[in-house]
Amino acid sequence: MSDFGFHLAFWSLAAMTIGGASMIMVSRNLIHAVVWLVLSMLGVAGLYLTLSADFIAVVQVLIYVGAISVLMLFAIMLTPRAERDNSSSLKTAGPAGVVVIMVMIATFWVAIDTDWGSVREVALTDQARLIGESLIKHYILPFEIGAVLLTAALVGAIALAREDDEDAAVHAASLQAELDGLEFDPVDVVDPPIPAEPESEARS
Amino acid sequence: MMEIAGLSGILGAWYDFRDLNNLQRLITEWIADWGPDWLASIVTGLLGALGILGVIGPTLLVLIWVERKVIARFQQRYGPNRVGPKGLLQPVADAVKLILKEQLAPRAADKLIFFLPPVLIFIPGILIWGVLPFGPRMSVADLNVGVLFLLAVSGTAVLVIFMAGWSSNNKYALLGAMRAVAMSISYEVPMVLALLTLVVFSGTMSINGIVEWQQQEDVIFILLFPLTALVFFFAASAELNRTPADISEAESEIVAGYHTEYSGMRFGLFYAVELGNTLVVSGFIATFFLGGWWLWGLDEWVPSWIILLAKTGAVYFLLIWTRGTLPRLRVDQLMSLCWKALVPATLLFVVVAFVERTLLISEGWDTTIALPIMAVINIGLSLGAIMLFARVARPADLRRPARIRMAGAEIGGLRAARSVAARSEEPQFQVGGD
Repeated sequence: MSDFGFHLAFWSLAAMTIGGASMIMVSRNLIHAVVWLVLSMLGVAGLYLTLSADFIAVVQVLIYVGAISVLMLFAIMLTPRAERDNSSSLKTAGPAGVVVIMVMIATFWVAIDTDWGSVREVALTDQARLIGESLIKHYILPFEIGAVLLTAALVGAIALAREDDEDAAVHAASLQAELDGLEFDPVDVVDPPIPAEPESEARS
Repeated sequence: MMEIAGLSGILGAWYDFRDLNNLQRLITEWIADWGPDWLASIVTGLLGALGILGVIGPTLLVLIWVERKVIARFQQRYGPNRVGPKGLLQPVADAVKLILKEQLAPRAADKLIFFLPPVLIFIPGILIWGVLPFGPRMSVADLNVGVLFLLAVSGTAVLVIFMAGWSSNNKYALLGAMRAVAMSISYEVPMVLALLTLVVFSGTMSINGIVEWQQQEDVIFILLFPLTALVFFFAASAELNRTPADISEAESEIVAGYHTEYSGMRFGLFYAVELGNTLVVSGFIATFFLGGWWLWGLDEWVPSWIILLAKTGAVYFLLIWTRGTLPRLRVDQLMSLCWKALVPATLLFVVVAFVERTLLISEGWDTTIALPIMAVINIGLSLGAIMLFARVARPADLRRPARIRMAGAEIGGLRAARSVAARSEEPQFQVGGD
């Protein structure tokens, strides 16, 4: 790869990443923030590509751009509108700033303190296979733990989201009562009273 | 000078149209003779991109006509037949009309995000063509992680659809967008599992590698994993928003879904990308399950890309066929079909693929004998799974309704249906009589 092309790619991708990240902070509208976040993530994926890490780059797009951002959008859509956007007051700016500065210091500390080696040989070609092999051979235990954890999370999410039969019956009955303009008592659904003679209210 | 080792004469010359890669390679070599490196790579990239655009642009115009004609045939009417011979110029007239139409934007729309989607939707729509192999060396980018790339790029389109639906500030558009997002993330699961089956079995994530595996083993994947192919076909048609599964733009329910507020050519762009995606997904189904550019030795005589295009056309016709024949599923039926039928079915075959791959690799079974036996076993398993689903395990949402559905669950327009349902022993349509 020619040097000029590489530098052009790196700097434009870096600008895209950091510009997107800054726009997240600036934008008041949370949906706009997510869109900028996606731009920033795409920039990161491009940076991976310049490092010849095509597997990681594709996975970055697949997971962060394709899945995480959609998840965020879902979370935003399920949030009440009043609490959705960034607040215009700067009440929380102080503590948040302190946290951000501490994280920045820690990151820079690690980045400067680490002895970065440089890789001389040509980038690996069949990365997916190598990653898969090391996951199955060397890191089999963390891999399995991760799998169990994800399964547990999945089951937990289903258990939380699942509507009880009883809840569903109460919900349906309340809707019906609202339609019929009747009083509604959830106890009647859970413990149904002995049915009286069939009603004939709609006949007139 | 221009010959590849071992080939001579016409083979490898620029006019050897069996492998269009030759043309591109010769141009690159010619530039490399006098020009700098970067010019060659830029020209190569441009050739790939322009080639894709130049082919699919006109193809889309023809496909609109084909689709309308075929659908009309299914519905026993003529279809477009006024503009040009047999209505062939109808798509051109439509395109001109769309371009001339006024571009409206709702006053309350989120202006920036509203203008972006018709443009952005093109990016995944074009990128996805890059990994489709038209021949042994004929894909714009033959990536090691081609399958993942395909999934990643097609996944980003959802985001654009959501932007379109949300920024329109229209309830129908937002409903359509939310449906599209929910459907897309649901149907991605069986799609990923179906592709995982192929990746496990062929041992490669390169799309060309999967075709080469089928060529090497003399078998196409639809014979080995018929149910997976069926699931992939349906999941793809759901991701494409095509009619058996087009709830995100169901005209009878939510106007036009996420592109309700887009007029003129902006709508036209959405429409074009949808058609283009349909074509490219047909190509990928043909590549993954029907052997792609390879057809039992016919690729020796016929250019590989013509074989692929023929298979693509066949799959595309199947997509039109399902669109013309099947009724639209309801939103809850679509979800329950995905999670309760397609995901378990594909999971079953992922396990089967693991077992059979282990038998082939670790146990060293002879593929010429083992593969036909496995194909028979898998076809039997598929039929069994379908029978099980149809007879025993069909989810409640997909059974034939015993009473009027959703009658008691909603208010408003369904009140009439509800009150009829409540008095089913004496049905009458005198609603709200008092």
